[in-house]
Amino acid sequence: MVMNLAMAKKMIKAAIERAEEMNRLCSVAIVDDRGFLVAIHRMDRAPIPTVDIARDKAWSAATFRMPSSDITKFGDASSPGFGFNTQNWNDRLTTISGGLPIKDGDDVIGGIGVSGGMPDEDVAVCEAALATVLA
Amino acid sequence: MKEVTLEIAEKMLEAAERWAALSGYPSSIAVVDKAGAVIAVHRMDGAGPMTTDISINKAFTAVYSGGPTLMLARAIDPRMLGPIIGSGGLGLLTQAKLRLMFIPGGNPIRDEEMNVIGGIGCSGVPDGVGDISDTTVVQAGYTAIYEEYD
Repeated sequence: MVMNLAMAKKMIKAAIERAEEMNRLCSVAIVDDRGFLVAIHRMDRAPIPTVDIARDKAWSAATFRMPSSDITKFGDASSPGFGFNTQNWNDRLTTISGGLPIKDGDDVIGGIGVSGGMPDEDVAVCEAALATVLA
Repeated sequence: MKEVTLEIAEKMLEAAERWAALSGYPSSIAVVDKAGAVIAVHRMDGAGPMTTDISINKAFTAVYSGGPTLMLARAIDPRMLGPIIGSGGLGLLTQAKLRLMFIPGGNPIRDEEMNVIGGIGCSGVPDGVGDISDTTVVQAGYTAIYEEYD
């Protein structure tokens, strides 16, 4: 399974439906397995910065192959990855929760990022979108 | 039509994508609001990763300059000499934190009173190869929203 625009549109549609149920104004971004943008939608009246935050979350989740909030573990000095914050991250790295990798079995085929609600709400919106692909 | 909503943006993208598909060159298309902020971006299957940011910046530039990016491409052309050599638009290159695009393919979206309420940009279709270019792809986007106008 490879990320394509049709799949990205379907996921975004499901995510926005879930956000509407929760009365949140969100941006939803989908990136492919390399972290490159495939599609972004911003709901009407959602704040402007949510676009870039959603994209950053999707990039972080897709390239680290883990939920964006899990990346904080590399900030722990006792962890082998400590020091990652000194790298050049192309201004995209974020550790705010709301970004999840899109997986086909063990393979990461992309990432989804949602911004606009509280952290756990963003994750819930992500999961609603992932359910459409995995089902 | 007073503002570009996500629904309108999706309609424009759909029409523009259909036109880009006809050209045989997969491309990215972006719609932005009157602040130049992204409403929706789609990268068609097979389009290069670079095209997303270029299409976003073209749409932004159309809003920011209030005209097609085609006109900015003309403005920085060194052959466009004014009364004084150098009085052309080359200084535009330093504007807007390097987000200005000087490549044709970004057009403003206007309301009935001709106020700019958004922009649409396309990147990926080479100019001059066929009958379809980035500019005609974004123009195709307008065909989907003619009903929105009084």
